Amino acid sequence: MTKTLEIVWIILVGLTIFAYLLGHLHYINSFFVAILLVTTFIKVQLVLNYFMELKNVTGKYRWIPSIWLGIVISLIAVAYYLPVSNTH
Amino acid sequence: MSKSKTIKEQYPPGDFAIWIIIYVELVTFGLLFLGYAFSRRANLEMFNHSQKMLETTSGFINTLLLVTSSYFVVKAVATIQNMTDNRREEFNKKASKWLLLAMLFGAGFLVNKIFEFSYIFGEGINLSTNKFFMFYLLLTGFHFMHVLLGSVILFNIFQKTRVYGYTLEDHKGIISGATYWHMVDFLWIILFPLVYIIR
Repeated sequence: MTKTLEIVWIILVGLTIFAYLLGHLHYINSFFVAILLVTTFIKVQLVLNYFMELKNVTGKYRWIPSIWLGIVISLIAVAYYLPVSNTH
Repeated sequence: MSKSKTIKEQYPPGDFAIWIIIYVELVTFGLLFLGYAFSRRANLEMFNHSQKMLETTSGFINTLLLVTSSYFVVKAVATIQNMTDNRREEFNKKASKWLLLAMLFGAGFLVNKIFEFSYIFGEGINLSTNKFFMFYLLLTGFHFMHVLLGSVILFNIFQKTRVYGYTLEDHKGIISGATYWHMVDFLWIILFPLVYIIR
């Protein structure tokens, strides 16, 4: 139990360092943005499941925040990847 | 015996009222995140240019501070949940130390953010400068207020542990406060890459 929390914290810190390093790249392409969004999803899901202990909850109360997260991350991806029309 | 291990709770931990607040916050921040993402899409060059004025290192340090503070809060809650009735004082004292660390890291976040805001305002930037800075100030300013409120909640929990106020039977308060703090943490986890990194 205790070790699980430490592992979750290490993963959160590791993925944050990874995101920071990506931010220092001169050019961030679509592939890197996809990785960034996936790692953000994983990080929030870890906080929900292990820090907020939703992994011990059954039914809708476990999934409401996860569904919210999935929708928000997906729509951010849509906003990023949809081609921009040059009508003006 | 193994059956009891697989039984899950029907309701989320803590007071259910805190979850109502969290659901409202999710909708509010969700709309702000999406407002930022779709406005960026319509003003790509301006957003990318304005974003260069932000200090990514400051956002990075703040992410580490909040994530670690959240971890300390989990440790405080776990300490209370694992207490034995005859050692209530000892476990409350231990939890208060974790909470003190969590508050220090939360304060570090606030101080760092104040420096960032003072730099931005010093450059003459405000809500009407452009859409990027409008969203940046709204999102980070609104989140800053949540960290402030979370710090007040943590301080109250801390005070209760100092008078050995939590027992094995009655510790819903610390769980509710911790849940709010974790929400503040995960909102920043989304905000950091969205506003500081993606371009």
